[in-house]
Amino acid sequence: MNPALSVRGLGKRFGHVHALGDVSLRVEAGTVHCILGENGAGKSTLCNLVYGGYAPDSGSMELAGAGYAPTSPADALSCGVAMVHQHFSLVSTMTVRENLLLGSRQSRVPAGELDGRLGRLSDEYQLEVDPSARVSDMPVGARQKAEIVKALLHDPKLLLLDEPTGVLDLAEIDALIATCQAIAASGRAVVLVTHKLGEVARVADAATVLRGGHVAGGGRLSEVSVPRLLDMMVGREASELDPALAATLGVEGAQAATEPEPAAQDRAATAPVLELRSVCVRRRDGTVALDGADLSVAPGEIVGVAGVEGNGQSELVSVLSGSIRASSGAISVDGVDITNASPARRTALGVGVVPEDRQAEAMVSELSVAENLYLGRLGDFRRWGLVSRKRMEEAAAERIAQYSIRADGPQAPMRSLSGGNQQKVVLARELAVDGLRALVAAQPTRGLDIGAVDHVHGQLRAAAQEDVAVLVVSSEIPELLAFCDRVFVSYRGQLLGPVDPSSEDAMGTIGQLMTGTVT
Amino acid sequence: MDVLTQIVTSGVAFALPLLVAAIGELVSERAGVLNLSLEGMMLTGAFAGVLGSVTTGSPVLGALAGILAALVLGAAQAVLSIRLLADQIVVGIAANALALGATTFGARLLLADGKGQDVAGFADIKLPLLHSIPVLGPALFSQTALGWVCIAAIVAVVIVFSPRTVRGLTIDAVGEDAKSADWTGLPVRRIRYLCVLLAAGMAGLAGAHLALSEVRSFTDNLTAGIGYLAVVAVIAGRWRSTGVIVASIVFGVAQALQFALPAVGVDVPSALLIMLPYVFAIVAVSGFAATSRAPTCLTRPFTRGA
Amino acid sequence: MTALTRRLGVGWSWRRHPLPVALAAIAAAALVGLVLCLIAGAGPGQTISALVEGTVGTPFAIGTSLNAASVLILIAGGFTIAFRAGLVNVGGEGQLAAGGVAAAAVGTTLGAGTPAVIALPAVLAAGAAGGALWAAIAAYLRVRRDASEIITTLLLNFVGLALITLMVNEPSLLRQPQTSSETLPQSSPLIDSAHIPLLGLDSSPTTVALLLALAVVLALGIVLRQTATGLRLRTVGLSPSAASRLGMPVARHLFVSLTTAGALAGLAGGVLIATSPFVLVEGFTSGYGFTGLVVGLLARGSMLAVIAVSLLLAFLTSGGINLQLVAGVPSSTVTIVAALITIFIAGAAAQGAMTNFSRRPTPAPTPGPAASAPTGA
Repeated sequence: MNPALSVRGLGKRFGHVHALGDVSLRVEAGTVHCILGENGAGKSTLCNLVYGGYAPDSGSMELAGAGYAPTSPADALSCGVAMVHQHFSLVSTMTVRENLLLGSRQSRVPAGELDGRLGRLSDEYQLEVDPSARVSDMPVGARQKAEIVKALLHDPKLLLLDEPTGVLDLAEIDALIATCQAIAASGRAVVLVTHKLGEVARVADAATVLRGGHVAGGGRLSEVSVPRLLDMMVGREASELDPALAATLGVEGAQAATEPEPAAQDRAATAPVLELRSVCVRRRDGTVALDGADLSVAPGEIVGVAGVEGNGQSELVSVLSGSIRASSGAISVDGVDITNASPARRTALGVGVVPEDRQAEAMVSELSVAENLYLGRLGDFRRWGLVSRKRMEEAAAERIAQYSIRADGPQAPMRSLSGGNQQKVVLARELAVDGLRALVAAQPTRGLDIGAVDHVHGQLRAAAQEDVAVLVVSSEIPELLAFCDRVFVSYRGQLLGPVDPSSEDAMGTIGQLMTGTVT
Repeated sequence: MDVLTQIVTSGVAFALPLLVAAIGELVSERAGVLNLSLEGMMLTGAFAGVLGSVTTGSPVLGALAGILAALVLGAAQAVLSIRLLADQIVVGIAANALALGATTFGARLLLADGKGQDVAGFADIKLPLLHSIPVLGPALFSQTALGWVCIAAIVAVVIVFSPRTVRGLTIDAVGEDAKSADWTGLPVRRIRYLCVLLAAGMAGLAGAHLALSEVRSFTDNLTAGIGYLAVVAVIAGRWRSTGVIVASIVFGVAQALQFALPAVGVDVPSALLIMLPYVFAIVAVSGFAATSRAPTCLTRPFTRGA
Repeated sequence: MTALTRRLGVGWSWRRHPLPVALAAIAAAALVGLVLCLIAGAGPGQTISALVEGTVGTPFAIGTSLNAASVLILIAGGFTIAFRAGLVNVGGEGQLAAGGVAAAAVGTTLGAGTPAVIALPAVLAAGAAGGALWAAIAAYLRVRRDASEIITTLLLNFVGLALITLMVNEPSLLRQPQTSSETLPQSSPLIDSAHIPLLGLDSSPTTVALLLALAVVLALGIVLRQTATGLRLRTVGLSPSAASRLGMPVARHLFVSLTTAGALAGLAGGVLIATSPFVLVEGFTSGYGFTGLVVGLLARGSMLAVIAVSLLLAFLTSGGINLQLVAGVPSSTVTIVAALITIFIAGAAAQGAMTNFSRRPTPAPTPGPAASAPTGA
């Protein structure tokens, strides 16, 4: 029986960067096949090659035994390959129905039959979507369902899902896993791209591990153990991994060092650095994003906020950084009220922020590393009214060495750095804020490779050691549990908890808080 | 003819070519391509129309020549902005200059000695009975054959490309979120090409109508800014067909008022009436009721992987 | 050369300003031009000699070209500043007009005895203020109402041109006193002391406007490249949300940069009014605004390129005028050639507009791109 997809010797370069080299694998029909690898290993590139987004530089592909070389997504779709994109391919200003109609020529579903098909898909795979909802109004989980339905309308033989679980809560992840298994059971092949080993164990029939653009191993889950997969992925054993690091991969790490925590008591007693009192934030469309959020972070504490998109934690970070205004409530740093302060003032008071959207908000990709490091403090390098680039680059070179940032030098453009190194630059900049008192980090390890994740954790811990109040917002609950002193859960604009990570079934408690079943 | 009828008649006469071009441009902008070269395309259509009519003696062939010539210019504009990723604003303005220069040069060469005047054009066809309706009659129901073609074209384009059809939705998707459209398997570039050609063809038709039905001659820079006004009409109409129709009519009436008001003794400086359409459009785009915005990908060329 | 220009801060880069491409474009367009001239009855030899005579043949020709170039340099220079902040100022023509109106208003109402040291700066300053005000309308709408400046400045062009018509037709405004039915609709002449002085080169009409334009534009070029303000402006242009996050007052930068662009165009308007024939009349803008816009777009951020392209187009136009006078070739030939050069360069440069036409209000950050660099994740 021909495999649903067979890839041989696939290679792809971008400029002089080798994204993929000599990748070969087989996906059997009727199975869920996971492509596993840390961020930066080449998984998305592989997906794009299969879906016709790029053409490979070398190698070949076969679909059910027949040669397959798509030149565009339309090509891929007509051959029976559909993809659920990480960031969705839905036009946000249109409704679900309109989006589904867009692809109707390719899917050959006439408008009249659309509702019927949706009904059947809903029954078969428990994928309910409201056709009249506007995509921009829908929560992420619902959008993903619409995206999956859109792909299934094409009746594909092969379905690719690129990192689908990053934006889902625990219940939604369960539902997605069930859906994937149901789709596979109907005879199709499902390829799920992920960096979470934990998920692989639950959903996969087989897996292929990518590392540094090459295949590091793989096989059927019945034959290859999870620890083996981990070893292939990162070259280390679970017990060697820092617990927070392991958590990002979805495995259990080394036992958390049982240091005595007397400091915790003292910390609670000292005056908090960062304080939010009944902060309310409204979105542009009038809905409430934060509904009376209360939070305080003491110096040296690492506080985590868990939750999935749409529950207000993005707005929490924005209202702390100053990019949006609170409609009521008070925020203060060291007792100084900053509720209406500009971002510049907050920085002056010692608030550092690592924003969620690295590309759009944390850095300017066309500018150099040096410029990104010092844009906020150009005054330091001014001489006779002009900025001394030389001094700026010298200072930048020191930071690059200090934080082991891999770049072609201080004048290299930010976009030439990998995601992990870009994040190192952003952190370096924020940690260098004069008189840093509080550090707010939003999804700081998202999209980063293992080395960078480790680095980020290390820097955050080091900052806490220096009595900086650290607030981490993340959708990765295991990571937060391994690493924070207290964890809150963001639910419908309120901060529930806190949950003590060392308590029994902290995970379960958080899960319940996230669905609102426990107040 | 009393003043009111005169205003309405000349208002509609001015608005018709404007609307033809604007409706075509609307489709192109919905797909994400801005054609500032609409002016040049209309001028080319007018020139080719007159030239065709003079050479063949048949206004019908002239009109066809006009449309064809504009399509050629449109194809060049399309290749430049869509394939070669050239800046749409630069290309638009340069194309206008090119068309102005070329048609002026061509007129000197081929339409000299009065050949470009009193050209065989289209005669008015008055619809029996309907055209006697006071005020509206002469304006709406007395068009030349080409004028009727224009009206038919407008109606056809509005219906065929309506956002309620899948075709219309596809165009909107391409202009709003080209990346997602591409991932959905839609041929983004091909759609944009076709939309630009539609805009060009309509502009050519508009130019030919202006030259062959209304003035029946060609003079240098005949279109004198109508093309830009058509782009403005799309903006003022907030990228919706109804809005564009209303805007075009308002602009036509404003133009007519420029001449009619002084005749009635109302002493409004014509300059203020000239300003009116543009001020109207500025207010519209300042979004006091931000319901309709420009398509997000307007003027942004599309490449996969970008 | 690149290192030198980088240090000088004038922003020329071979990658973005490929000289071979420009030369090829000029050559191709020139070829077409020669063919057109042939059709019009002038052989290549005649064409070229008329062109040369018209461009550099006489000091008069050179002088006129340099004057035209000064106007273009100012407008395109202003465009470049706004462009750095991510704003596309299509409104040069209207700002030119508004500046001219303001300059004429001041220049015709000052007492005839006002010393030149006051009159000329006053007229030029008025011009700059007029243009700045005109651009400020669009800047305000952009900052407060998120209205695309491409659209608003484009529309304001036509309003500005109509403004001139209004001014010169209404006796209560700037129209010169009507002594007979043949009095032309234009303003009274400027007072003598407000005329821009000539550079004094032999029989050349070159005015000091050239020096003014070069000085202003080069100074601004240095500001853009070497000062903190310039870098901040660039940041705002590349990523307003990152700029805001890093503490920069984005709205203020946007407003100031667009207004400055308008001020420079308005200054050019003042220059035009203060140059012969020293009156405000319809059509005095002669499309300079649009040509300046094209220069700005082609120059892509480099003040050196602004100067180079301005000179090219200005000389070409002068040559064309002479071509018409001497060889009987219609001046539209030059329009065609200039347009072709622009189109060829634009097509070969393959850059595309870098700006958003419709800026959606920056939403609160959503868990969007878990960004990965081209290495792929």
